[in-house]
Order: sequence, then C-alpha cells, then structure tokens
Amino acid sequence: MSEIAVAVLLALSLAVALFSCIGLTFVRGYFNRLHYLAPVTTVSTTLLLAAVVVKYGWSQAAIKMFLIWGVLLLINSVLTHATARAARVRKLGHWTPDPKENIPGAGGSR
Amino acid sequence: MNEWLIASGVLLLALIPCGIATFRGSPMERLLGLEMAGVIETMFLVTFAFALNRPNFLDLALAMGLLCFGGGLVFARFLERWL
Repeated sequence: MSEIAVAVLLALSLAVALFSCIGLTFVRGYFNRLHYLAPVTTVSTTLLLAAVVVKYGWSQAAIKMFLIWGVLLLINSVLTHATARAARVRKLGHWTPDPKENIPGAGGSR
Repeated sequence: MNEWLIASGVLLLALIPCGIATFRGSPMERLLGLEMAGVIETMFLVTFAFALNRPNFLDLALAMGLLCFGGGLVFARFLERWL
C-alpha cells in the first residue's frame, strides 16, 4: 500500500515540475514566466517530502529532506522577489509603484 | 530499477525545457530558466540519492539549493545595475 502511495506522490510531484518547466519555457512575458517558479518549490517539493516520509518514516533522511524543503520554500520566495525587482529596476530605473501606472492596491502613494 | 530512479530520469528530462528557456529571450528571461534549473537539479539530487539508497548524499541537494540561491541573487543584482 505504501509503495503505491509513494509512486502516486512521486508522479504528482514530477507532473507539477514538468508542467512548470514547460510553462516557463513557452509562456510569453517575463512577469508571466516568473509565476511558474512557485509551483515547483511549493507543491512539487512538498509532494516529494511526503513521498520520502511515507517511504522512510521520520528517519534521518526524512528530517534532512524536511530541511531541504524548508530551504527551497524560504529561498525561492526571496529569489522571486529579487528577480522581479531587478527586472523592474532594469526597465524603469526604480521598483516602487508609480502613480501614473495605476496599479490596483498601490494607492498611488510612494 | 526503482521508482526513485525513474523520477531522477524524468527530472533530467525536465531540464531540457529549462535549457531552452536559458538559451533564448532577454537576459532576465534567461535568468528565470537558470533559477528553475537550480530547483529541478536540487530535486534530482534528492531522488538520485534515494535511487542509489545513499541518503547521506542528501547533503549535496542541500548545498545545491543554497548555492542556487546565492547564484540567482548575484545574477539578479548584476542584471539590475550593470549588465
């Protein structure tokens, strides 16, 4: 039973990873592409962690995998923000919202 | 051949679209391909460690994840200002 659960969790994890990679490659626009980094580091790695825990229980390997999962989860959000900010600075010279841009929720204040 | 080895193979295949993304588009779009490849490589190292039945190799995956963060951040900073 646990073998089937591991196989299903791994297959789902890989499907999400493949979908995200293909999306990142073929979707147009930088900021649209940026979204595809998130499913891999959140859904895919969580399913991988679940597969490891189901297979090996709370062993040393699972605890290490838990650490890797935490690192990827924390790091990727920071990296996504940094690259989005870099793209905006490269394009506009600054990254804060401009009142002329009419961004919803920005309020027009700097 | 166990399920972890098959997963490793599939993750290696997932690097192909990342490679395509890295070889075309603007510099910022190429950086996204590189960042995605870093995450996929980390996952590959995890599955490959279990495929070889050597959980100690998970340290490599952890190192890879941390180094990808540093590399991506430095690239983003350089592309922001200088390149």
